[in-house]
Amino acid sequence: MSTSREKNTAKFILGFDLGTTNSVLAYAPLDAENPQVELLALPQLVSSGTVESRTMLASFAYLANPNEAVGGVLDLPWTKQRDFAVGEYARRQGAVVPDRTVGAAKSWLAYSRVDRHQPILPWGAAESVAKISPVTASQRYLEHIVAVWQELHPEAPVAEQLVVLTVPASFDASARELTREAALAAGLPQDLVLLEEPQAAVYAWLADRGDRWRRALKLGDTLLVCDVGGGTTDLTLVTVADDSGELVLRRMAVGNHLLVGGDNMDLALAHFVAGRFAEKGTKLDPWQSVALWHSCRNAKESLLATEGATSDQYPISVLGRGSRLIGGTVTTEVDRLSVGQILVDGFFPHCKVSDRPARRMASGFRELGLPYETDTAITRHLAAFLQAHGPAPGQPVRPTHVLFNGGVFKADILRHRLLEVLGEWFSNDADNQAPQMLEGSHDLDHAVARGAAYYGWAKHRGGLRIRGGTARAYYVGIETAGLAVPGAPRPLKALCVVPNGMEEGTETDVPSDEIGLIVGEPAQFRFFSSSTRKNDRPGELLASWSLDELDETDSLETTLSAAEGAEDDYAAVRFLSRITELGVLELWCVSTKNNSRWKLEFSVREDAGAE
Amino acid sequence: MDQLLLISEIVNVVLFLMVVGWLVARILGKWKTTKIAAEKPQAKIPDKTETKPPTAKQPPKPSRSEAITLLATLQREARFVDFIKEPLDSYSDAQIGAAVRDVHRDCAKVLDRLFAIQPMVNQEEDSPVEVPAGFDAGRFRLTGNVVGDPPFHGRLVHHGWEATEVRLPAWSGTQLSVRVVAPVEVELA
Repeated sequence: MSTSREKNTAKFILGFDLGTTNSVLAYAPLDAENPQVELLALPQLVSSGTVESRTMLASFAYLANPNEAVGGVLDLPWTKQRDFAVGEYARRQGAVVPDRTVGAAKSWLAYSRVDRHQPILPWGAAESVAKISPVTASQRYLEHIVAVWQELHPEAPVAEQLVVLTVPASFDASARELTREAALAAGLPQDLVLLEEPQAAVYAWLADRGDRWRRALKLGDTLLVCDVGGGTTDLTLVTVADDSGELVLRRMAVGNHLLVGGDNMDLALAHFVAGRFAEKGTKLDPWQSVALWHSCRNAKESLLATEGATSDQYPISVLGRGSRLIGGTVTTEVDRLSVGQILVDGFFPHCKVSDRPARRMASGFRELGLPYETDTAITRHLAAFLQAHGPAPGQPVRPTHVLFNGGVFKADILRHRLLEVLGEWFSNDADNQAPQMLEGSHDLDHAVARGAAYYGWAKHRGGLRIRGGTARAYYVGIETAGLAVPGAPRPLKALCVVPNGMEEGTETDVPSDEIGLIVGEPAQFRFFSSSTRKNDRPGELLASWSLDELDETDSLETTLSAAEGAEDDYAAVRFLSRITELGVLELWCVSTKNNSRWKLEFSVREDAGAE
Repeated sequence: MDQLLLISEIVNVVLFLMVVGWLVARILGKWKTTKIAAEKPQAKIPDKTETKPPTAKQPPKPSRSEAITLLATLQREARFVDFIKEPLDSYSDAQIGAAVRDVHRDCAKVLDRLFAIQPMVNQEEDSPVEVPAGFDAGRFRLTGNVVGDPPFHGRLVHHGWEATEVRLPAWSGTQLSVRVVAPVEVELA
């Protein structure tokens, strides 16, 4: 499609999965006849002074005390005199030195109530810790992977390769822009492509199936991609459509950014087991509680495995902390039934498709910090998602197939439960089959990176692509004219500037009244997005909307430089929106008098603390 | 019944420790033969007295025995050294069993990741097996009535173990820590 734009020096396609808890790089040589996607082994510190390769880089950063970072203990083969560490060592340090460990930076990127450029992480750490911003943290994870690649392939610099970076489908334009910014700072090329993670999971499946995918999916099918990672849940619907006789995949809807995932399950289990210890009179200290959390992470899989269970009881131990391992070990038994209830019924409860997640309590004061979901029931979030994108109110979307992604779904019982619940919602009848799991092999930990690499290969060499354009519609807030009332804000209307599904590589003029801006002064616009309003066209002016329809994100601003030969200090503009080939949203103010135009930029900084 | 399970578990661990010991010995042996020259300069390891490293000249990068690296990994991830160094006399089998389960699981993870240890023969033990002509004496151990020339026909007693990979961590610590298996841990209030 855009081969002319592509670099002819590129030898590889690189697929980066910048995850909330783990990051992965998959790559494929461009000249191969068939896509041969490999995972890059990622050397990382696993302990002070010890470097080991893993397939995933733990997305954690440890900001060492200067006294700890001497003697090269945080060195990597390609860099010396480091005062921080990323990867497995940082993840481990999170358990014992939480005040110096940055985690979940990616979730912070999507959280518009804080300034993502400010050094705010680790959140709530002491003054003496030299904190970093969510953007910087993301940049460091990517820099690490880039450095590993450079070591291995000095002949193929990252900046000259074709690069795909995945983002959650639920990321809005501002979170995507921040991700891009971190990526460019880490040395990824300007023409890097952002791909939605659930789509990447579908590409990984397509790569595995080859042409056989046509046997699994047919015209009119709807695929639900259910991606439950360590910290987040991401839902997407993809339909199989017909495009002049060819079957094509079209992304139909994406869900909201849900902060609930596998970590919540480990914590819920740990909480339960801590209760069992308390019943026996064993009080766990903070270190033991963290150790218990890790034990529960390990125990979760065997506990959820229904096959091969020899007894209903399962022992969980917390090893002694000092060198007296056996003497200090405390242990308790949990029964599989209760664990099943906590995890399966707690996170995937049976519910009706008309159910809604419990709402977060609104209160005057809300402590800043990540807005973790109040309702951990993924099935209820799924019900709300399917309802929101149905053809009419009360008519949910009916998926025909389900593709699972994320480590959580390694447990058979959770996959089965989700299919069971979907089956209850959409029971078998003469015309319809209950939703089925997509056949084929699923590499739940690495599918997103693999899919990203395959997508890049397919884009370059020609292959099946998922279409769909933007997952959201975007709106600019316009204050209505009229007499000012002291103390009351002017009523706000939302002008649709980007419709849902606007395709990459297109632009559109936004018809509207002229908007007056003062030359030489910054102009600022509130900016909103919606994943559910699908029929708004550019230029439509919404006078009212319900709270859950429109999400406000970072505002946009620009400063109008004095145009040449302009007599006034006042310019009348209209908007023009573009989605670049790379999927980047651009919004421009275009003068109605001459050809001057000004690009609007996200003003993340101004927004901080505005709440 | 529980007692039996525990005992079998302990037997498992002991077997497993033998394998680890064997591996350590193997790696150490290999290391000694191939890297003997590299080891010479640091045969004298500074003791605990405060010897300041020379600052003027760039000191040679300290290097560490790979066996220590393996031990440190097993200790860090599976508390292996803690477990072996602790006298068992004062504990009941149930107490030992409770700790063993975690140590065992985590040791196995380390061995899988670093060595991807696999049986050398994909055959049931106790089944008939042929040892081909020109076999490598390092890969087969013949017992019983060893006479004549191969191929030999016999009964498989042990399928053997082989590290299909060796992916030991690289180490970049200080001269004073080359023999540290687990550092002193101090919690600051």
